[in-house]
Amino acid sequence: MSYEPKIIAFCCNWCSYAAADLAGISRMEYPSNIRIIRVMCSGMVHPETVVEAFNLGADGIMVLG
Amino acid sequence: MTLSEVTGVSGSEGNFIVSVKEHPRYVDMTKCIACGECAAKCPKKVDDDYNASTKKRKAIFVKYSQAVPLKYQIDADQCIYLQKPGKCGFCAKVCPAGAINFEDTEKNHEINVGSIILAPGFQAFDPKDAGIWGYGTLPNVITSMQLERYCSATGPTEGHLIRPSDGKSARKIAFLQCVGSRDENKCGNGYCSSVCCMYAIKEAVIAKDHVPGLQTTIFFMDMRTHGKDFDRYYQRAKSESGVRFMRCRVHGVEPHGTDGDLRLHYINEEGRQVEEYYDMVVLSVGLQTPKPVVRLAKNLGIQLTSGNFAATSNFMPVLTSKPGIFTCGAFAGPKDIPQSVIEGSAAAAGAGNLLATSRHTLTRDKIFPTERDISCEEPKIGVFVCHCGSNIAGVVDVSSVADYAATLPGVAHVERNLFTCSQDTQDLMVNLIKEKGLNRVVVAACTPRTHEPLFRETLKAAGINEYLFEMANIRNQNSWVHAKEPAKATAKAKDLIRMAVAKVSPQFALHQLSVPVTRAALVVGGGLAGMTAALNLADQGFPVHLVEKSAQLGGFARMLDHTWKGDEIKPQLANMTARIENHYNITLHLQSEIKEVEGYVGNFRTTVQNKAGDKTVIEHGAGIIATGGKRFRPLKEYGYGEIKGVYTGIEFDTLRKAGDINVKEGKTFVFIQCVGSRQKDRPYCSKVCCTHSVQSAIRLKKEDATRKVYILYRDMRTYGERELLYKEARQLGVIFINYELHGKPLVKHDMAGIQVEVWDHVLHRPLFISADVVILAEAILANQDGKKIAQLFKIPVDSDGFFQEAHAKLRPVDFVTDGLFVAGLAHYPKPVEESIAQAMAASARAATLLSKESITLEAIKATVVEDNCDGCALCLDVCPFSAISLMEYKDNEGKISRRIEINKAQCKGCGLCQGTCPKRGVFVAGFSLDQINKQVAAALAV
Amino acid sequence: MVVGGGIAGMQSALDLANSGYYVYLLERSGAIGGAMAQLDKTFPTNDCSM
Repeated sequence: MSYEPKIIAFCCNWCSYAAADLAGISRMEYPSNIRIIRVMCSGMVHPETVVEAFNLGADGIMVLG
Repeated sequence: MTLSEVTGVSGSEGNFIVSVKEHPRYVDMTKCIACGECAAKCPKKVDDDYNASTKKRKAIFVKYSQAVPLKYQIDADQCIYLQKPGKCGFCAKVCPAGAINFEDTEKNHEINVGSIILAPGFQAFDPKDAGIWGYGTLPNVITSMQLERYCSATGPTEGHLIRPSDGKSARKIAFLQCVGSRDENKCGNGYCSSVCCMYAIKEAVIAKDHVPGLQTTIFFMDMRTHGKDFDRYYQRAKSESGVRFMRCRVHGVEPHGTDGDLRLHYINEEGRQVEEYYDMVVLSVGLQTPKPVVRLAKNLGIQLTSGNFAATSNFMPVLTSKPGIFTCGAFAGPKDIPQSVIEGSAAAAGAGNLLATSRHTLTRDKIFPTERDISCEEPKIGVFVCHCGSNIAGVVDVSSVADYAATLPGVAHVERNLFTCSQDTQDLMVNLIKEKGLNRVVVAACTPRTHEPLFRETLKAAGINEYLFEMANIRNQNSWVHAKEPAKATAKAKDLIRMAVAKVSPQFALHQLSVPVTRAALVVGGGLAGMTAALNLADQGFPVHLVEKSAQLGGFARMLDHTWKGDEIKPQLANMTARIENHYNITLHLQSEIKEVEGYVGNFRTTVQNKAGDKTVIEHGAGIIATGGKRFRPLKEYGYGEIKGVYTGIEFDTLRKAGDINVKEGKTFVFIQCVGSRQKDRPYCSKVCCTHSVQSAIRLKKEDATRKVYILYRDMRTYGERELLYKEARQLGVIFINYELHGKPLVKHDMAGIQVEVWDHVLHRPLFISADVVILAEAILANQDGKKIAQLFKIPVDSDGFFQEAHAKLRPVDFVTDGLFVAGLAHYPKPVEESIAQAMAASARAATLLSKESITLEAIKATVVEDNCDGCALCLDVCPFSAISLMEYKDNEGKISRRIEINKAQCKGCGLCQGTCPKRGVFVAGFSLDQINKQVAAALAV
Repeated sequence: MVVGGGIAGMQSALDLANSGYYVYLLERSGAIGGAMAQLDKTFPTNDCSM
């Protein structure tokens, strides 16, 4: 089986989350490995959450804001 | 009401009947889910107006992808079916919601309203008509709006800046200014469109970001960057982005060779003929009033200016010639976004003032059942999986997703719906919540950004707390972006629902805070702006405290004579002063200063001290900062204060009015512009001085045509219809001589009198003028008190000392701190009518608060975990809203501990504190660390 | 009644509605937004116009 990375993306409700919605409206395509978590501001994401995500097996983390 | 236009108006102020024609959309707005199936199948392609014809759209279309309402419409002129019934009709066949309605018809409405605000906007000048710059024949000559679309990610090239003729990446672009503006020969528009200089600079800078190494040149007559921070941007475009600026008017664009290259021919400032070659030419097209709007205005009996803009008085800049009909935006004269927004609010203040007695008579509040307390219940989650027609179900295997959802912990019920957002599903949802005792809901559908409010209402209607809700975005962020991978999209949908369930399980009820509002306002500063704001709010029925430092109202305006349209200022001030002194709603505090401010939106307590030292505490719900500006005194510059006959512009006005003999008998007058403005220590334009000097020059010439009047300038910034004054001055024989910052004029005094020396660019030699009077157009400065006021109210000032608004474009009168607003010179130098508009805007913004007895605040706020917070105060520094303060507490044993306290009214729930806290001492309700961690764990669980 | 759903008209309509008035917002085209919605980015922050 080929390697499928798991990527967590923290997206700010006001910008990058909206952008991810717009990508859908525009029917852009991207790999399905990404799991978006909506936050009220990218500054809300705690370093502990990031470390925890790596511990639980995330291969990549994006904080977008 | 979209697709609607006014066809007629009868009645008068307070009681108009407006005839409105609503054109058919041919798409049922209640059914359309904006999935786009119809447009995908529609065979008819037409030019897309939204994209300034750089792109095609279909005959059934949505104006743009973020459109509001996001509903399709049929272009009846282009639709094959509507033109030839029986043909085509594909859209109706593929629409999963059955929203297409070819039988839709035009509707006519008669609407009774108290006031009308006309904001019909502008259309860009179409250079095709002039036929001079090759637009329409040379494909690489485009308009500025087309360039915007090429640079836009939603434009024809997804943001790749390429030449329309051959798709080659552009390397050299020329911008030609004043196309359709300041030009009566080719287009008949004598006025300046005000915005093109600034947008051309922006486009040149952005274009360079798009194409590394791109060369851009802007050909201009005067660089009119008179707005707040505009000059800085101009300087940075030159020094940092390397945009080249060339002062000259290019009169023609010719093809060069057959590859689509373009040749420009111009005469440079040194008088030499130059030929240059470009890949693309961008025409900076001006703004004009659309013809149908001109017709409507005539039909309504509204006076227009010579440039076809709504005629307004400088004292009432948003009122048309017809009482009760207000105007704002580009129809009230060409203008930029912030000024349009300001006028939008100002027009609201005008209409609000007029209709104050009928406030709240036509609006009503929704009533919801009492909330069920679920705090002791185990989670019973209802999951609703939306098909969204085929938008989700066409990609994702919804039945397997629903089956999977039912296995998740806490899930008590799963339902699939064709359209979860439809009204019948809402009813079903309410029933299920009640019947099955559900206490949390997950909707797996589109995006919470558009649909969360709808579902929250449904939860409220079902009697459970609206925050016990979460959406799984399985359309925009799943089925639509992974359309070719159904298996993976199905797996992802399951993950997203698992994450949503994990997040909603620990969710508890949240309640929106209700804060009572003290329905009174404080206005700081009794200048024109402060007076206008105070009067407007008082007339709307709100008590106002007007605090003025000096002994007199009027501020800076007391030094002024006329507005640019020639309205006399002093009688207006006297009139306003009398009204304020006698207004039952206004308490005037003269010779008083602000000493202390506490509280927050809706509930401020401000201490004011008068000259005698007596303190008064004013309770107010909103505050308007209108502390004004002051004039620059150019000591030792240009011989000011040393040479007799050298005055500042305002001093000159006074002398002239007083009949000073030197002025009366003077034969030669020299105005020097930008004295104290647009230089290193003060890199901003004072905005009003060009027009002021031009007006004075006209007066001097009209009094005595034999006088010689010179204006030495850097860029003449007679923006908008002020341009007509500039033209008049030239026609009267006023001589305009351009100088640059590095070659300022010299003013000397000798036996013969005053000598002014300035470099003449055309003649390449210094020019000496023997002057009787030299008038220095002095800068406007920020008030030094500003900093003190800023500290007291905890609001920011910029590096020039002017107050910093919340957003340069969209919130030009608000502060970041809720409940405080800015108006007048305290914000930036501006002419009388703009101060008045901003003051009215500030009062409209304040009225949105003061009209309410209480304000509800979003419940997503930071909360302190008392056991964990140890008062390290790391979060204090990161909070952008100054909502956190450090408090000391004494426990039962008398031990003192420190802990933070959050002002819920100021907190916006951004969670920077949560992200910073090392001890889990603070969390944002609805987005707690625990919830986010659970979401992460759920995402990675499988 | 506010005639025109561009940035100025929208601001008017919002301020009036938020201070207790019933507002009719008329727009000639199929969606509000006006000219600003056509712009790519705006000065000074180069924010997206949307």
